[in-house]
Amino acid sequence: MPEEVSRRDFLNRLGVTIGAAAASAGSLVVPTPAEAQQSFQAKGKVPTTPYKTGHMTFFTGPAAVLGEPSYKGHILAAEEINAQGGLLGKRKIETVKADEAAGTDANVKELRRMKLSEKIDCFTGVISSGNTPALGPVAEELKTLTLFTDGCTDFLFEKAVPNPHYVFRVTNIQSADGVMAAIAASMAWPKVTKIAHIHPDYSYGRNAFDHFNIAMKKLSGNIQVVSEAWPKLGTTEFTAHITKTISAKPDLLFTSVWGGDYIALYKQALRYDLFKKMKVATTLAFGVVPQAIGKDHPAGVVAGVHANYHFLYPAGNRWLPNAQFVKKYYDRWKEYPTFESEGAYTALHMLRVAVEKANQLVGGWPDDQAIIAMLEGLMYAAPAGYTYIRPDNHQGYKDALTGFLVNSPDYAFPVWDLKRVITVPIRSITAPPGYPKGEPTTTYKWIEETWPKSA
Amino acid sequence: MSQALLASGRLLAGWRLAVGIAIALFLVLVPRLLPPFQTLQLSYGLIFAIAALGFNLLLGYTGLLSFGHSAFFGVGAYTAALLVKYMGLSSMEAFVLAGALASAVTAALFGAVCVRYTRIFFSILMLALSQVIWSLAFKLFWVTGGTDGLRVPTPTLLGGSVALGAGEDKLVFLTHRYYYYVLALFLVCVGAMWVIVNSPFGKALQAIRDNETRAEFVGVQVRKYRWIALVVSGTFTGLAGTLWVPLNGLTTPDILYWPFSGKIVFFVVLGGFRTFLGPVLGAVVFNYLETYAIGFTVYWQMVLGVVLVLLVLTMPAGLVGTLAPLFARRRRIA
Repeated sequence: MPEEVSRRDFLNRLGVTIGAAAASAGSLVVPTPAEAQQSFQAKGKVPTTPYKTGHMTFFTGPAAVLGEPSYKGHILAAEEINAQGGLLGKRKIETVKADEAAGTDANVKELRRMKLSEKIDCFTGVISSGNTPALGPVAEELKTLTLFTDGCTDFLFEKAVPNPHYVFRVTNIQSADGVMAAIAASMAWPKVTKIAHIHPDYSYGRNAFDHFNIAMKKLSGNIQVVSEAWPKLGTTEFTAHITKTISAKPDLLFTSVWGGDYIALYKQALRYDLFKKMKVATTLAFGVVPQAIGKDHPAGVVAGVHANYHFLYPAGNRWLPNAQFVKKYYDRWKEYPTFESEGAYTALHMLRVAVEKANQLVGGWPDDQAIIAMLEGLMYAAPAGYTYIRPDNHQGYKDALTGFLVNSPDYAFPVWDLKRVITVPIRSITAPPGYPKGEPTTTYKWIEETWPKSA
Repeated sequence: MSQALLASGRLLAGWRLAVGIAIALFLVLVPRLLPPFQTLQLSYGLIFAIAALGFNLLLGYTGLLSFGHSAFFGVGAYTAALLVKYMGLSSMEAFVLAGALASAVTAALFGAVCVRYTRIFFSILMLALSQVIWSLAFKLFWVTGGTDGLRVPTPTLLGGSVALGAGEDKLVFLTHRYYYYVLALFLVCVGAMWVIVNSPFGKALQAIRDNETRAEFVGVQVRKYRWIALVVSGTFTGLAGTLWVPLNGLTTPDILYWPFSGKIVFFVVLGGFRTFLGPVLGAVVFNYLETYAIGFTVYWQMVLGVVLVLLVLTMPAGLVGTLAPLFARRRRIA
């Protein structure tokens, strides 16, 4: 029987921290990175043939507002590495891109084409949680070093590829999304009990639904799900779902709708005054390119970033990797980065670091086995914070975060309220290595069995 | 005169046989001649060709345009996946038999509703029914995995005597043993369909296509024949779905969704539905077209759309329907 603790004690135990320092990012002078000043000395003879990567993301359809930044982050990292001569100073990175919107089956074919016909050395990208479990096993079959930069479903490394060798994933685990939204909602609105859900009808939506509910049950005691709506992914017509939600009179709407779908949802919800009738928590309101969300978006909403990254946090010069990344990204693309940009950018730099480490050990160009050995357990100071790749499941972990939407005069689009950014150490909200597997996810079982119930 | 015609007919038959043998020989040698990716591509193409052959029995020979063939393809695929999930089977023969049976049953049920209608009414009814199956696969996620679909591991072939060895490369299996398995079934299907369309039954279907009333007057039971044609057609397409699953590694509701039905129509329009081999060529060519369009541009949808528009405007008879007469004329001139 789990113990009972007060909500405040509970949140303290989780290590929840709330951002306090507010600074305007635009006014700062960003110091030159120390890294750029020292060039890496490769050991042994390294060939000068290009290093080919295949990057798959959404270039068309409603998800393209999420997908394009992924490609831009990847290209920025590739250009930075190539400016130093390439990987190990010799092998320039070349990128082949592919549209994820072609559908799961076509994506499987495209990955094979990239590996067998284009002869890519490394496969990166992929956004949808419906696609990584399809592509992961194919990448293992093809023996292709793979760094997924999203598609974060827990399912991938728990079931689809339970013993990964070639496949890694750099961005945060998906169960963190639902849990973070629950923590934010229960902190901001401790009295909510009646909850409505709108989720895309596929693995991501169900994952968010499950983890939000279990975390909320532990944090807030008796909650009641009064409405569920499951639109198809890629839907841009939400009227029926919105009216259904409003008629259920919930205290809180929790939604994991993302990409262009979310833009359509919030615009249509405005017409029905949904935001005035209930509190709203999202996992991915800030997943798309920042300027895609208008200033008509009501403030105070939990604006999730897939528990990964927002360009304003850590703010100012407190975390140089971020300050430098935001500046470089803005200079290159004339827009601010998203968590997808950060994930794709970090993935390529983690690959670079692993290749360099492997080179120091074996000399010359290290083979994939050596690179994989270096990636396992690698910790990297990424723009979002320390990113750690767990050796047992090849999943990347970093502290999870979410925030509240505010309309600031400094930006032409809504951003996070920096006084209220919530950060939680990832180990507090995800199952540790070796925890017995469970349904629907190991983390779900772990929360159910080990979290206390707040009174 | 008649002797000359007969001789030229025999010459034509001989010529066709020679080309057929040459193509068959090439198909047999593909894994040796072409890189693995091309063999994979061709496997996909041959599988889609089986689906298109089935589809064309309805469109080309019976005059019914179905916008619901994704249902049969999907039922074939999901049957294999569900046999893996619930019965732990891995025998390809079991998949093939069960897939063909399940799609035949589905087609029989669809037929019971649809064959009393023709033209647009038939097309729309088929579309509607196929979307019922799609929504079942989409919504019953605890059974079908929803949009995540169901994984199908590498099956064993020929009663378990041919299998993927431990630690062996799956790609080698797919581009060699599995390719030959697909090729063999493809040739069987082509042969079977050839027999069907040239049988009295096939002729009756063509009579229905050309003039339903006259066909009825000469004693053809129009609805029954249409129903049988739909069952045969659905079974071929279902078989293709079953063969496709191990190649793709998993099955998702995408193959049950209406755009996939549209794709099957595209195969047949591309190749030409007035000819026997048009759909086969159309399916193989479409598969290449789609793969390379997706691979080389993010505007792949536009590429496919433009091809379709140009096709309808300039080659309404499809590739085979347009090119075959050109070859025939050249031969006559020579």
